[in-house]
Amino acid sequence: MKKNNLHRRKFIKGLSATSGYVIAAPYVKTSHSAGRLLLGLWDHWIPGANDVLENIIVAWGEKNGVEIKVDFITSIGNKLLLTAQAESRAKTGHDIFSQPTWYCSMFRHRLEPLDDVVEDIISKHGPLLDSAKFYAHLDGHWRGSPAPTGSFFDSMVSRFDLFKEHAGIDLQTLFPANENRDANLINNWNWDTFLLASEKLYKAGKPFGATIGATPDSRWLSALFTSYGAELVNKNGEITVDSDEVRQVLEYMSKLTEFMPKSIYAWDDSSNNRWIISGQGSAIFNPASAWAVAKRDNPEIANKLWHHDVPRGPKGRYRPDNSQFWGLWDFAENKSAAKDLLRYMAEPNVIDACIKASQGYDIPLIISHFNKNKTWEEASPPDGVLYNYPMKGDEIPVAVGYPAPPEIASQITTQYVIANLTARVTAKGHSFKKAISWAENELEGVMRR
Amino acid sequence: MKCSSLYLWLRQKPRIAFFMCLPLILMVVCLIIYPFIYSIFLSMLNKAETKFVGIGNYLFLFKRETFWLVVQQSIFFALVAVFFKALIGFIAAHSINAIPSKGQRKWRGMLLIPWVIPPALSTLGWWWLFEPTYSAINWFLVKISLPAIPWLSETFWARFSIILVNVWVGAPFFLIMYLAALKSIPADLYEAASIDGANYRQKLYYITLPMMKNIISITILFSIIVTFANFDIVRVLTRGGPIDTTHLFATYAFRVGIESGDIPLGAAVSLFMFPILGTLAFIILRSVRKRAMEV
Amino acid sequence: MKNNILNIKNSIHSNRRWALIAAYSSLIIFVIFFLFPPYYMLITSLKTNKEIAEMASNPWIIEQGITLKHYVYLFTETPFLTFFKNTIIVTVCVVIITMVISVLAAYSLSRLKFWGSGVLATGIFLTYLVPETLLFIPLFKIVGWLGLLNSYWVLVLVYPTLSVPFCTWLMIGYFSSIPKEIDEAALIDGANHMQMLWKVFIPVAMPGLIAATIFAFTVSWAGFLYPLAFIYSESEMVLTVGTVTTLIKGDVFNWGSLMSGALLAAAPPVIIYAFLMDYYIAGLTSGATKG
Repeated sequence: MKKNNLHRRKFIKGLSATSGYVIAAPYVKTSHSAGRLLLGLWDHWIPGANDVLENIIVAWGEKNGVEIKVDFITSIGNKLLLTAQAESRAKTGHDIFSQPTWYCSMFRHRLEPLDDVVEDIISKHGPLLDSAKFYAHLDGHWRGSPAPTGSFFDSMVSRFDLFKEHAGIDLQTLFPANENRDANLINNWNWDTFLLASEKLYKAGKPFGATIGATPDSRWLSALFTSYGAELVNKNGEITVDSDEVRQVLEYMSKLTEFMPKSIYAWDDSSNNRWIISGQGSAIFNPASAWAVAKRDNPEIANKLWHHDVPRGPKGRYRPDNSQFWGLWDFAENKSAAKDLLRYMAEPNVIDACIKASQGYDIPLIISHFNKNKTWEEASPPDGVLYNYPMKGDEIPVAVGYPAPPEIASQITTQYVIANLTARVTAKGHSFKKAISWAENELEGVMRR
Repeated sequence: MKCSSLYLWLRQKPRIAFFMCLPLILMVVCLIIYPFIYSIFLSMLNKAETKFVGIGNYLFLFKRETFWLVVQQSIFFALVAVFFKALIGFIAAHSINAIPSKGQRKWRGMLLIPWVIPPALSTLGWWWLFEPTYSAINWFLVKISLPAIPWLSETFWARFSIILVNVWVGAPFFLIMYLAALKSIPADLYEAASIDGANYRQKLYYITLPMMKNIISITILFSIIVTFANFDIVRVLTRGGPIDTTHLFATYAFRVGIESGDIPLGAAVSLFMFPILGTLAFIILRSVRKRAMEV
Repeated sequence: MKNNILNIKNSIHSNRRWALIAAYSSLIIFVIFFLFPPYYMLITSLKTNKEIAEMASNPWIIEQGITLKHYVYLFTETPFLTFFKNTIIVTVCVVIITMVISVLAAYSLSRLKFWGSGVLATGIFLTYLVPETLLFIPLFKIVGWLGLLNSYWVLVLVYPTLSVPFCTWLMIGYFSSIPKEIDEAALIDGANHMQMLWKVFIPVAMPGLIAATIFAFTVSWAGFLYPLAFIYSESEMVLTVGTVTTLIKGDVFNWGSLMSGALLAAAPPVIIYAFLMDYYIAGLTSGATKG
């Protein structure tokens, strides 16, 4: 019978012995006077990004006398989530674990407060995005520290040639690859003008497409709702889905979906990529992955893509948020070393290296860092394609379910209430009243403690 | 022969029986019963897992519209899918049995393939066949001037698709079981019946079906249970959509439990069918065992 | 009288012809239905990436040249062979363990009565009612405590829970149909229970054993959720989970390699079954068992 506090050592040994996938670099085992650290990190889909990150961490470990072991766990099939669920309940596993979006809220009881770490980071490098605070500052404590990789925000990705030809909008002038933005023109880029453009593109046979299904990519709907001031649950935790603003958005969506393909209700996260790469679509909401794959599979199309701002709504311009954090399980053994590592991960050179390795896919949560990095300026073809991928204008990244309290917002996210509500109106043709009363029933369910 | 009293005590039938069963019992207790009891306990906790709420989670589920939708869909899915699997398996088994034995092997081999490809991978293949932008099936339909079908984005077709894939994966299992049973019916019974002037239908009703009764009920029962618990196919093809219209117990449990961090509720959904299916299973198995013991 | 016999002979003959036509027609329909997806997967696995992504190309034939690139990629750039090796080890162990447990238990439950054996025989079936998606959570705790996390040996431990109940039931069915006279004859000859099991029951119930082996093999080869939950290092993964997690990255699917991986993953079971099924059917038609 193995004792609880011994078996982890044994299985760490087992892991080291059997896992042959660790990157080649022949690290000599230095004295690990400061202990061991096990990291369970999100598996970055960009080839090579994992290696860069692992090398950085291991190098830090060498310098500080900490033995490091990194496992990259994919989010395909919810594997990352399954592992987090299992580890948090069994109180065994890794020390530092990736916490994308709402994981911090889901596991808050098992995550070590990281106030000292995050406050150090903020005082040294400047503020984090507001949405980061929304996700990770819970019950008065920071439960997650900004991750160096894995945070991204869906910009609009469009075929500027199609927009010019059919909708008469020159995206490259509107969102140039330099500092000279015309405030008036940009002000005019709102949901109404977008609706007009969508109609023209639809009639030309090249519609805009975005999912309205139970999949994470449907977060664009949430940004749309927020830009109209439509709140499902307000910040006091009251259900406010029966409101004029919600009806306004549903009205808007009824019109917009007439100009979108009917298959969007079944789209998963990769459908919109395929949509635009195949040449059938003129615009989607996505991070830089669509363009990266187009470069490989259909360079002609890749050459005509442009990343740019989301349209503005009556209450502001909001962008869908997908931030990632690193958390520290409270059953971890080597907390002080872990916290040092978390602080180190916020250093500019670390972040720069990670952004470069991710080819601009990741956008850091520390505002000063993404303002300074050049990766997005240099990406091509076409020149300037990624310039406006990070938020350059007045866009505010917002989490799904904002401004509801985090426990409720996380449920709104994972149960796809917004997407289902919209689909009931636009696909099933329910009246607003019927759909809203369904949403109220769902939200009551979400409220349970 | 040693005559120590311990040896004699051990040699008694019940003791030997028990020891032979021991590995099974151990496995069942440690890896099935304990986790099962833990799961029941889990389903009776509140969301934050700090207090015991008895059947509170179950009562909560009864008030949710989506939950009743899931119940309906699961029952419909299980019954329809099992019906078609049994039917196709039965017809295929008969057909293979009817052709000369030399040729049977290759047909058997070919028809076994869907069951043999790991479902996690074959379902991906199906998904790609249904994918809105690249569907190969739609390409074919359009070529013969039929409209493209929204396989996964419209409720009716989405339900059709998951049943189709489930039948595709499961029918070979029925085929093997039925074929085995068919082969074990002595051929002279049929010959005697032919001489007596029985036609095909009479032979089917009076010889084939009665002799296969046990196998038919067991296979159907097993398939109902497994189909109810189906997770992979729906998960990969539709994830429960569009608008929750293809959710089954396992996928809905996954959504409210694992994905939303409310494991007790997820456990309650998973265990909901247990009493009903359990009773059904017990009744059918009891009668099967009685028939078997009569031999 | 002669006419009568001739009539019967003719009607049997034409019956048989109709039966054959009906049989072949339904078989052909089924084969098309069963095999068009694997055919499609095969074609896709041999196409270039560009052709796969192209909208205008015919998805059912290869137009732009066959490429083995995806298969090569699978073998050289992914740990596919490791996955293969792991899966074989796991599956062989699981099949052996399953057969040992099931045969012993089935023998005792069908022949030797002890208190509770009736309940056990019926009750083991109920283990299928608790889905993997729920069981994996408490199992994670047990597995962690045993130190088997992230090792493929965890699968050798938990997969039998999926195969043993059905195999036991299957063997009980076969053993029950062996006439009791054989038992008595063997006992008179001085055999003990183990000898009876080994020398009499197992040979006679061989078709059942093979069926159970096939079932255990399939269940173990195709397992997905448990390895997904318990294993995260690529060196320990099995085919199903490994292929999916290595070839799908975020929202990028490597369809060519995925399809080739799926087909290669299906090949060993197909070959083994083709082999085993012959023995299985042969065992049945030798008239050893009755319904």
